[in-house]
Amino acid sequence: MAFGTNISRRRFVVGLSAAALPIGLSAGRAGEQGSIPDGEPRRGGTMTFLLPYEPPFLLSLFNPASLVLSAKMTEGLLEFDRSMTPRGQLATDWTVSPDGLTYRFALRRGVRWHDGRDFTSADVAFSLRTLKKVHPRGRLTFANLAEIATPNDHSVVLRLTRPTPFLLPALSAEESPIVPYHVYRDGDPLANPNALSPIGTGPFKFGEWSRGNYVILERNPDYWDPPRPYLDRIVARVISDPQQRSVAFETGTADVGYRTPVPLRDVERLRQLPTLEFETAGYTYSPPNITCIEFNLDNPHLGRIEIRQAIAHMIDRDKIAEVVYFGQAVACPSPIVPELAAFHDSSPSPYPFDPDAAAKLLDDAGYPRNRDGMRFSLTLDYPADETFHHLAAFLRVMLGRAGIWVKTRGQDIGSQARRVYTDRAFDMQLASLSNLFDPAIGVQRLFWSKNYVKGVPFSNATHYGNPLVDKLLEDQAVETDPARRVAQWREIQRIILHEVPDLNLVMPRWYTIANRRLKGHSDTADGLEGNLAHAYLVEK
Amino acid sequence: MERPMIASRKLGSPVKDGIAFFKESGYLSLTVGGAVFAAIVVTAAAARLLFPGDPTDMVTTPLLWPGQSGLFPLGTTSLGQDVAAGLVWGARASLQVGILAAAVGLLLGLVAGTLAGYCGGWIDAVLVRVIALFQTMPPFLLVVVIVAIDEPTLRTISLAIGLAGWPTVARLVRAQVRSLRQAEFVLAARCQGYGTTRIVLGEILPNALPPVIATVSVLVANAILMEAGLSFLDMGDPNIVSWGSMIGAARDTLRIDWYLAVLPGLAIALTVLSLNLVSDGLTEVLSPRRRAAP
Repeated sequence: MAFGTNISRRRFVVGLSAAALPIGLSAGRAGEQGSIPDGEPRRGGTMTFLLPYEPPFLLSLFNPASLVLSAKMTEGLLEFDRSMTPRGQLATDWTVSPDGLTYRFALRRGVRWHDGRDFTSADVAFSLRTLKKVHPRGRLTFANLAEIATPNDHSVVLRLTRPTPFLLPALSAEESPIVPYHVYRDGDPLANPNALSPIGTGPFKFGEWSRGNYVILERNPDYWDPPRPYLDRIVARVISDPQQRSVAFETGTADVGYRTPVPLRDVERLRQLPTLEFETAGYTYSPPNITCIEFNLDNPHLGRIEIRQAIAHMIDRDKIAEVVYFGQAVACPSPIVPELAAFHDSSPSPYPFDPDAAAKLLDDAGYPRNRDGMRFSLTLDYPADETFHHLAAFLRVMLGRAGIWVKTRGQDIGSQARRVYTDRAFDMQLASLSNLFDPAIGVQRLFWSKNYVKGVPFSNATHYGNPLVDKLLEDQAVETDPARRVAQWREIQRIILHEVPDLNLVMPRWYTIANRRLKGHSDTADGLEGNLAHAYLVEK
Repeated sequence: MERPMIASRKLGSPVKDGIAFFKESGYLSLTVGGAVFAAIVVTAAAARLLFPGDPTDMVTTPLLWPGQSGLFPLGTTSLGQDVAAGLVWGARASLQVGILAAAVGLLLGLVAGTLAGYCGGWIDAVLVRVIALFQTMPPFLLVVVIVAIDEPTLRTISLAIGLAGWPTVARLVRAQVRSLRQAEFVLAARCQGYGTTRIVLGEILPNALPPVIATVSVLVANAILMEAGLSFLDMGDPNIVSWGSMIGAARDTLRIDWYLAVLPGLAIALTVLSLNLVSDGLTEVLSPRRRAAP
């Protein structure tokens, strides 16, 4: 997974608006934690965190699908408040040179690893070096990182060959975790048991992992930011059945779950319960995925733009949001979701819902209807999951009305990735793709012709290539002026919307569902994926 | 099939006697089960007449409750599909899978069972081990694996279920054939110089069949249940409506729109029940005990 992300809402990704960040000379000061609403936080108690699936590891050093619990134990250099302003986590001070090539970090003093050793600049240097080598996205984020200098135990200097406008936002705990060098000193970092029972500097220590069942994290009493953390313990429980998760919230056995962890039809019903709170904050760093149809442009039908336009004319996004998502989604024709506000282009699709226009395009393209009313047939692959199942059925009916016979194929995500990216034996696939913390990482991979790499999941699945788009993509990756970068991304979206190599449908609304006794869980840009040092329970 | 003999009994009121006989003989369950199953078969066959359109089409407002609209008496799904049309077309899919899978299982089981039972020796030894091998695998898991390897189409699913079901038939047939192999009428046939094929097909199999026939309806019922299970797990054919897929699709809305799961559930229960009644009835009616009575 060179550009690791996910295709399903069950997997994990990150995203954020990098343009909201001051690039160039940006500085911050640590210790100024956000003020906490709802009065004085209370110490103690156990919080139950509901997970829809079990992460393969408890550390996101090399596996981004493991980032849900990572930040609680292993921290990063920076964290971001709700408005994406960086503040110090393991760094206390940082400066970026005006040319965007030199980053200086002053590190927090007096921080200890969970095993009692001191945290130093050697740990940071080792972690960044390792991320560049083994993290699927780290390879891109740190591609221009030429040198990591450690003048003393408490400062780190990064030197880049070319600017990387999305470097600072990538320095969060879950995206670029700082791991203890003394634990990793020898051997292969991928085989190190630290990924299963991490030693970090975070507010919680690893406690116990009962596979397929639960993970227990215990309070770190020596945390550098007392009196935090407030919670004594976090129990992360894995419940894979959506209905059962609904029940867990109703009965109060679960305190919190994120990314709308219940069946969408249940949302309005649960909202009526006085014990539950629906929170939309905490998704700035990791905006909801875009749900899209990716066309295989090597298919003789789909390679023709008229056919793709005709298909686009058969798509009623508002209807999809209302019927398939029970209103819990927002129509989005752009590959960049509205939540990534700085980059998102809100202009409508140039091909509005219009069955007559679709029929005319198909007639003119030389595809008359046969006796059964069909013109030609296509397959549609989707990850077997309730919402996708309904979406595939919906699209099958809609395209059928235009005379395109769609054969849907549901499968597990691994089979689909193999079929699409390795065998390329597909016509259309339904995918849920994250914008990640910057479109340079989350969106570029989909449209850059050089990222058409067989066998690499979530790369350029469509085999799209446009020299103009390629140039814009390559330019924005080293553009230090945020306004110019945004303009480049607007232009890219305009071309994509016009040429429809993929057809973007909706952005699901993501809610964090929490018991009202739990407070302070979504105070940062990354919400539940953050370190939860601020979370507390008003009663035990 | 020869008609079963009536067991001799004391004479009483002819009406009472008739009813008692009807109950005991298995004709009651056979009639009731057969009638229900026949009704389902007829409905399925008439699907094209009853609901000419595509049952997956989104025809109206989503999530209408049963009775809310005269046009859609059984309500609509979350996508606005007609539940009644889904049930009728789903019957087609379920019966198709059931009958095809039973046919595959029956054919394989008959051939293997007859070979093993009649030939004996190493053929029997090998076949018994193959049967044992299949029996060590939970049938549903086997079906899931086969369907996962190939594409989930009705044909693959039926084949897979048939493959998982044949050992039952094979064991039954083998036991029957083994016991009949040395029966007097078989020996007589052999003395008369009948060929092996004629002995097996003409003499042994017809006498070995009654318990097998009773098993077949259970095979059909099992296949329908398995297909429903597969579709529930979203491993069925997504391009057709089946009862299992209707229940699977209703899972997300179970707490509020429970009728979406209950209606196809009832259909499955009714079908499987009717097939079991038929099987019970056949077992009684074709029972050798009954036939042996004077």
